[in-house]
Amino acid sequence: MATILSVKNLTIKFGGLVAVEDFSVDVQEGELLAIIGPNGAGKTTVFNMLTGIYKPTSGSIEMDGKNLVGMRPHQFAAHGLARTFQNIRLFHNASVVDNIKMAYTLHSSEKFFPALMRTESVVEQEWELDMEVMRLLKIFNLDQQADLLSKNLPYGPQRKLEIVRAMMLKPKILLLDEPVAGMNVAEIDEIASLIAQIREKFKMTIILIEHHMNFVMPIADRIKVLDFGKTIAEGNPGDIQKNPKVIEAYLGGGYHAIA
Amino acid sequence: MKFSKRFKSILPVIGLAALYGLIMLLKSMGIANNYHIQILMFAGVNIMMTLSLNVVNGFTGQFSIGHAGFMSLGAYGSAIITTLILKPSVIPASMEIPVFLLSLLVGGLVAAMVGYLIGLPTLKLKGDYLAIVTLAFGEIVRAGLRLIEPIGAARGMIGVPNYANLAWIFLFVALTLFFVRNIIYSRFGRAWIAIRDNEIAAEAMGIDSTRYKIISFTFSAFIAGVAGGLYAHVVSFIQPDTFSFVKSSDLLVFLYAGGSGSLTGSIVGALLLTSLPEALRFLASWRLVIYALVLVIVMLYSPKGITGGYELPFLRITRKDIYENRGKKISETPLQETKEGDV
Ligand SMILES: Nc1ncnc2c1ncn2[C@@H]1O[C@H](COP(=O)(O)OP(=O)(O)OP(=O)(O)O)[C@@H](O)[C@H]1O
Ligand SMILES: [Mg+2]
Repeated sequence: MATILSVKNLTIKFGGLVAVEDFSVDVQEGELLAIIGPNGAGKTTVFNMLTGIYKPTSGSIEMDGKNLVGMRPHQFAAHGLARTFQNIRLFHNASVVDNIKMAYTLHSSEKFFPALMRTESVVEQEWELDMEVMRLLKIFNLDQQADLLSKNLPYGPQRKLEIVRAMMLKPKILLLDEPVAGMNVAEIDEIASLIAQIREKFKMTIILIEHHMNFVMPIADRIKVLDFGKTIAEGNPGDIQKNPKVIEAYLGGGYHAIA
Repeated sequence: MKFSKRFKSILPVIGLAALYGLIMLLKSMGIANNYHIQILMFAGVNIMMTLSLNVVNGFTGQFSIGHAGFMSLGAYGSAIITTLILKPSVIPASMEIPVFLLSLLVGGLVAAMVGYLIGLPTLKLKGDYLAIVTLAFGEIVRAGLRLIEPIGAARGMIGVPNYANLAWIFLFVALTLFFVRNIIYSRFGRAWIAIRDNEIAAEAMGIDSTRYKIISFTFSAFIAGVAGGLYAHVVSFIQPDTFSFVKSSDLLVFLYAGGSGSLTGSIVGALLLTSLPEALRFLASWRLVIYALVLVIVMLYSPKGITGGYELPFLRITRKDIYENRGKKISETPLQETKEGDV
């Protein structure tokens, strides 16, 4: 397996607060890496740095031998890092299909003046794009809602749509920030099988943040545990479950979920 | 099938021609007079201006409040061509129309270029900078034009040939609608709407928000410039003070009262609110009170504007249209599984 993302000593400070300190990881092609940790541990902040939304105080994020630190978020996306958000950020006044088409902007070869005239070739491109989006929606069982405004979708499908939208970027790595937060058991199962499908069909590399231990343990290849911005443990799910430091960090409320 | 598809696409053109014919008929019957036609031409220019503003404020979610500045640049840019450089006395009559069209293009390009230059540094910044900068821009243009003696300074330019008639206005409104609609339903419009709805998500989904905002702003400024050029050739007399902040705020009212983010809204807002004050003229000073009252009532009962987000069928492009255009029914389209590695 090859390393496709190499993160070294990411550190970010907000005023006096060190939100994340010395976060390092080499992500292997095709693996599912989970990042867990109590509230406020710095998990989302790591994602924000990996997608260019925050600029780390120090450290590097390397892909294809290039350091991405300092680039703008859309450039991170262009390099193959696509994400979902802990607090859903859909394009609310656009339909489900359009939400996904928007994530294709980067790949689209439509030019301004032909688009202005809506030439035959633009119509052709729009038609092909629509069919591609519909195929993707069909795979993820959202095709029946294609023409709904995304804000009118129920909560569960909204989370799912965010994942499908990120997939449309054709990323190298998919970053999912708490994809099952606030979902019921049936919906959690659906997301679990969706993630399995993405891995199987698209051989996608995934980094996942999650609180639900019984969701993470069976699907993760490797887990990193953050606490107060520091990496306190790293390993396969079996070892993490037994790690005393991890159990201690979770003693507030999550202990039972782990054990 | 083929015939009905063709027919559908030229239906709006037929409708527009019929409307024009009707107005001309009313005029020949003495029901509509030159004053009415004049109001209609102003309304047409205002529709173009409102559409221009809609691109930036309604679809891209930015806030420009100095759009009269672009109109002014277009008006002066084109009037300089037709009044000072290629004036009627130095060109053959057969060249009047080409010169007129050239002047509109120049007006549009001057406005677009200035729009680009303002947008470049401003649209990189977040938040309300655009509002402040466009406000200042509008006033700087006005103050600047007041100082330039060769174009009449504060007195303005007189004797701009009145090349624009109702037919030209109709044509340009239709073209603007056609172009704006097409671009909204393309990669560009989708990127604008994504930025409007959630800029952080748009960036994270690979949309270069600065670049698309600049494209939006420049395109919008071009339309405003052409509208300004038309205006100059309707009234024959332009003055820096015509394009003051009052004009910009009128346009904002047209946009939000009609319904921002809707092309139909821009038509209805500009048409209604341009003609309403004229229709109420018999009320003397009371008309402004009524006008304001109508606005308040609209905004209270329909926050999305008069049209409430509705779009006329020929002003939107649905997924069904795309498939029909390819000669396929949407239900017939294959929804088969993607093969491995397809995406
Ligand atoms: N922009 C910011 N400015 C200041 N502090 C911030 C900022 N973003 C995050 N923080 C702080 O960094 C710390 C880590 O926050 P983060 O959102 O990464 O936690 P998390 O592990 O994702 O928590 P949760 O499980 O609740 O989502 C918190 O103390 C938070 O308040
Ligand atoms: Mg978080």
